[in-house]
Amino acid sequence: MSKGVLVDLTKCVGCGSCTVACKMYNARSWIDDRAPSAGPSALLADENWTVVRKVTVDRDGGTPAWRFVKQQCLHCEQPACASACFARALQKTEDGPVVYYPNLCVGCRYCMVACPFDIPKYEWGRSLPLVTKCMMCASRIAEGQRPACVSVCPTGAMTFGDRGALLEQAHTTISGDDTYVKHIYGEKEAGGTSWIYISDVDFSKIGFKTGMTEKPLPSYTEKYTHLTPVVGGAWGLVLAGLYVFNKRKKTVSKRDVDARAAAGTGEGDGTGTGDRP
Amino acid sequence: MENRNKGRGGPLSRRSFFRLAGKTGGAAGAVVATSACEGQPAGGNGWVPEQYNAKGNFPVQVRGRVPIDPANLSIVRDDRKCILCGQCAEACDHVQSVMGHYRLPLIDTIPCVDCGQCSLWCPSAAITERDDSTRLLRAIADKTLHVVVQMAPSTRVALGEDFGLPVGTNVEGQQIAALRKLGVDAVFDTNFSADLTIMEEATELVGRIAGKGRETLPQFTSCCPGWVRFCEMFYPDMIPHLSSAKSPMTMMGAMIKTHYADRKGIDPAKIVSVAIMPCTAKKSEAARPEMNGAGRQLGRPEIRDIDIVLTTRELARMIKAAGIDLTALPPESCDGLLSEYTGAGAIFGNTGGVMEAAVRTAYFLATNRRPPDALLEWQPVRGLKGLKEASVAIPGVGDVRVAIVSGLGNARQILDRVRSGAKPWHFIEVMACPGGCIAGGGQPRSAVPPSDTIRQARSGAIYSVDERATIRLSHENGEIKAVYESYLGRPNSELAHHLLHTGYTDRSMHVATGNRRD
Repeated sequence: MSKGVLVDLTKCVGCGSCTVACKMYNARSWIDDRAPSAGPSALLADENWTVVRKVTVDRDGGTPAWRFVKQQCLHCEQPACASACFARALQKTEDGPVVYYPNLCVGCRYCMVACPFDIPKYEWGRSLPLVTKCMMCASRIAEGQRPACVSVCPTGAMTFGDRGALLEQAHTTISGDDTYVKHIYGEKEAGGTSWIYISDVDFSKIGFKTGMTEKPLPSYTEKYTHLTPVVGGAWGLVLAGLYVFNKRKKTVSKRDVDARAAAGTGEGDGTGTGDRP
Repeated sequence: MENRNKGRGGPLSRRSFFRLAGKTGGAAGAVVATSACEGQPAGGNGWVPEQYNAKGNFPVQVRGRVPIDPANLSIVRDDRKCILCGQCAEACDHVQSVMGHYRLPLIDTIPCVDCGQCSLWCPSAAITERDDSTRLLRAIADKTLHVVVQMAPSTRVALGEDFGLPVGTNVEGQQIAALRKLGVDAVFDTNFSADLTIMEEATELVGRIAGKGRETLPQFTSCCPGWVRFCEMFYPDMIPHLSSAKSPMTMMGAMIKTHYADRKGIDPAKIVSVAIMPCTAKKSEAARPEMNGAGRQLGRPEIRDIDIVLTTRELARMIKAAGIDLTALPPESCDGLLSEYTGAGAIFGNTGGVMEAAVRTAYFLATNRRPPDALLEWQPVRGLKGLKEASVAIPGVGDVRVAIVSGLGNARQILDRVRSGAKPWHFIEVMACPGGCIAGGGQPRSAVPPSDTIRQARSGAIYSVDERATIRLSHENGEIKAVYESYLGRPNSELAHHLLHTGYTDRSMHVATGNRRD
């Protein structure tokens, strides 16, 4: 059963425990000088797999309200990054996480182009750079534990569980409480994501990409990327044909030259056909 | 290479060399390509504390950390040092009843009373006071400025701990000497303004009991900025009960920039008023916009009562950074005018101390008689118990019933009872930090988390100052009398109100409490 995390943004107080847990568990460095992991200018980066961004929004009455938005890889049900990766360095696991295998990565960064949420980051500062992103603590999930960020949250803003059950829970919550926006972000976006969000403030006001397709992104390219082996095979056949054709042409012309020389016309030298060895 | 090979007799032409190299490389490549194992996925090569590693979805009891606004004036956190032990949240939630005691979502503030207890619980010292010591160094370096420092009652019984002295050693004289060595121009004692606070607050209390504002009994003490902020956020309906008297720190600040400046003939704008406090909340208290009583009185509202607040810990670091051995300094005394203190002022640092001092003087103000000796060793209000009650019969007034709480979690119990109409008390002392200022959020981290052993030792040192004092009643303080005679007039006079009293702000609209008045 595919796992997921339900984030209730109304419960986040911006303590940043999740960002610390992520740094600790994944041994990432603090790079607050160039990319803070919390605050208004929080930024996902090669070392920041998750951040909590503070947003000041105008509520209906015009009074400002603070909201805190946890950001990390949403772990799409059908990830575009994995579909774009020809090296299989990104793979969607049965548990839910989209994991990255550094050994397989060739560094082409197609995944970064493919991701609709702008999640994968590149280690530009290293001489042998890798792509990085949240792993949803796949190794912990494999052992029956929650992702590190979820387990440390003091306010219970995040719930880990089967995605289906979480969706049900999210629906119950937002239909039972008028303060919530009647939308579950990640239920359908990009074909659905493992991380889903509920909020009392419009998602577009707090930095979420809204109005995006509900079709899984790989479905746009599947039709013709499936033709890759056919195209490749056909191309090989074309090239092989050309080779055979050229080789035969050479043989024939050599035979002609030889035949003429043998006939003693004596004008063969220097008038070459260009097929000298 | 070719020659050497030829010399050995093995012919190796360039062509055959490249062919060999190509074959080897190709073979190696083929091996790598065919055996290309996935290896390990990225991540997961660090650790988190063990409590987070259990299977399943059960909530961890001690988890996460407190939210701290990066703009908080009192405390800061270095994320690189945080290990998510959960201790700050323990202190904030279970001791101070702040975190988790408001509804979510947040409104437009991170509820925090700036008490700094989390900084005492934090095992890796990721949470500390906001360091303002460079501001003091800059002020000292500027010779056009006159730097005046006041030191709070509790700092002298704790500063020595950061220099290896036994817990509870009183280093008053050395602390003054060290401040002078750091280059400050004058040192005053907050114990003096504690006596001044008693004069104002006890007069106010006697007035309320006598009838002017009986409906605002019980009167609450107001010298603890953590408590004041807590009241403004969570119990705004109790604001009328707060004594209007400022804290000793801000009273001293106002006196320095008016009375002292006048006597010395110094432009108040050239005075930098510094406070050494056992408290992180004092930093944000000093920054409250209304804490410019002296400035308003002088018609120059930009002049602040207090310019810089340093915790005991910051002072210890500054003394060490200057290479001064505190323990080897010969003791010195404070500058005159605003420094004489009584035993009553000295015990302000203990939970129950303000109450004991105030009742001693209230007794005198109500009866014009010296309080009985029992009030000089008023045992029921002493000790580290979180909630204490006592009563004293004052002739002509009747039984005055008092309560003392320390720790905001304990305060809630009393506040809820007062709110529900149970008002058996006349006067209630509230200190945000368990044990009072002696265990304030800015004190040395001599045990983490702070222990009652430490609190007891510091408290004992403070009570022994009172015991040894020849004058133990605030109203008998010579300099206090002189200040009233030559400057303020009488307690609660108009000038005293301008300089030494303040108002409070309902902040409940920023915190969604279950008790919010909408």
